[in-house]
Amino acid sequence: MMMSEKSLEDTRRFATMVAAKQAWELNPDQEFTESLLEGLTVNWNRYGYFLCPCRDSDGSREADANLVCPCVYSRPDVEEFGHCYCALYLRNGFSAAGGVPVGIPDRRNQ
Amino acid sequence: MLLDSLSYTAVTGTKKGPDIIVYALSTCGFCKRAMTFLQNNGLSYRYIHVDTIPIDTKNEIKRELKEHYKVDVAFPFATVNGTKYLVGFIEADWKLTLGV
Repeated sequence: MMMSEKSLEDTRRFATMVAAKQAWELNPDQEFTESLLEGLTVNWNRYGYFLCPCRDSDGSREADANLVCPCVYSRPDVEEFGHCYCALYLRNGFSAAGGVPVGIPDRRNQ
Repeated sequence: MLLDSLSYTAVTGTKKGPDIIVYALSTCGFCKRAMTFLQNNGLSYRYIHVDTIPIDTKNEIKRELKEHYKVDVAFPFATVNGTKYLVGFIEADWKLTLGV
């Protein structure tokens, strides 16, 4: 079955829905977030699933299962660091409190 | 080594700095930010988007980097003069290692 292509707006709706469901907020840095949404869109249209834009594929949906947005590491990362690995999702209030996302360790490698 | 024979894209800066190679994902915000940091600091570098090459080649790149630098590879991954590495983009670490 051919997977239908997603547009940037489709991906934006998806990420907005995830953030609302998890009670997170999208990164307010619009340029940064736009590049991540573009990356997610590329990954959907390349792999057929929303592979985290900051992780590389291991070659199959099964191998990448933990890395499909929102990745399985996003909840502990948001709790510990205030944002997920790629910094698309932030803990509510993280930015308002002056938090700025930075690179964090990849739990996949731990 | 495969790393010596890859087709890197060169970006020329205004300073004479170290030999920097960035292994990046074309989809990754921190990879873009890291390369913007290098440009803003006038540093020359070479880069390759490893998500746009065959997976076997990418896996061999990761294997060689891990073997050489004794560290798990995540992106962005930068090598400096073939001796030091930076993994992930933490601006303070990049400033310290690159002396900017």
